[in-house]
Amino acid sequence: MSTTHPRRHEARVNITLNGQNGDMSDPVPFDATDQQIKHWSLEAIRSGTVSGISPRVAGSLEGCVIDRFPATATVPVNRIFVRPRTPFG
Amino acid sequence: MTTHIVLIGVGALGSHVALLARNLDVSLKVIDFDRIEQKNTLSQFHTRMSLGHNKACALAQTMMGLFGARIEAVPHRLTADNVDALLSGGDLLIDCLDNAASRRLVQRWARRHAVPCLHGALAPDGAYGRVIWDEHFVIDEAPEDNQATCEDGEHLAFIAQVAAVLVQSLQAHLAEGATPSYHLRRGEVVRVA
Repeated sequence: MSTTHPRRHEARVNITLNGQNGDMSDPVPFDATDQQIKHWSLEAIRSGTVSGISPRVAGSLEGCVIDRFPATATVPVNRIFVRPRTPFG
Repeated sequence: MTTHIVLIGVGALGSHVALLARNLDVSLKVIDFDRIEQKNTLSQFHTRMSLGHNKACALAQTMMGLFGARIEAVPHRLTADNVDALLSGGDLLIDCLDNAASRRLVQRWARRHAVPCLHGALAPDGAYGRVIWDEHFVIDEAPEDNQATCEDGEHLAFIAQVAAVLVQSLQAHLAEGATPSYHLRRGEVVRVA
């Protein structure tokens, strides 16, 4: 599945849910709220456009965490991760 | 000059970090108040011979016995009252704790004293890990249905992989001052910063 390259104010979104993982096909504004990102992520999963995540696993993303990483020299694109919590060590 | 590293928490991740960092030109102090239970031997670098012993002390003994590697062990729980005493002297901190409250103590101390801090973190199901330098680290609270993590041994290889990436990031920092951070999923390591 092709993806759109993010512009400077946008970010690529990667989602991990119930052990499955994939990128949203379209970038989102880097400064979107956590709730917006979760909403768009769930919509994308349900529509079957997140390659790697079956629409059947789409449940709630309420327990997930949103991580934001601005572009750097080594990672030249803004990244947002929708991921499970990692409280243990 | 030898770098003095303080490793806080030597359970699943921390015990393997100590194992994999044994050849680095560093001095290592490990802090953990907990004792070794039978289930820990499935997912942590602790042995049946050490059952019932303090994790920090047992790890120091194991590393000396197996490799001749000297580790300073501190068998205490990190608290607001002793955080200065326990972390002072560290040139670099490694947080492999399993609770948000203690992580906050470490993070606040590291930021107040401008000491680099590398965090390792695991999801309850052992399927997601993070290796993050402090400037990007977000402390996750445990979910309400807080489940003990990684205790059945199924996730040992993933735990070891996260620990290996953590030590590689540490090596990059020691060699060139870099602070590479990563997210890990099974079979995938993603550099995030």
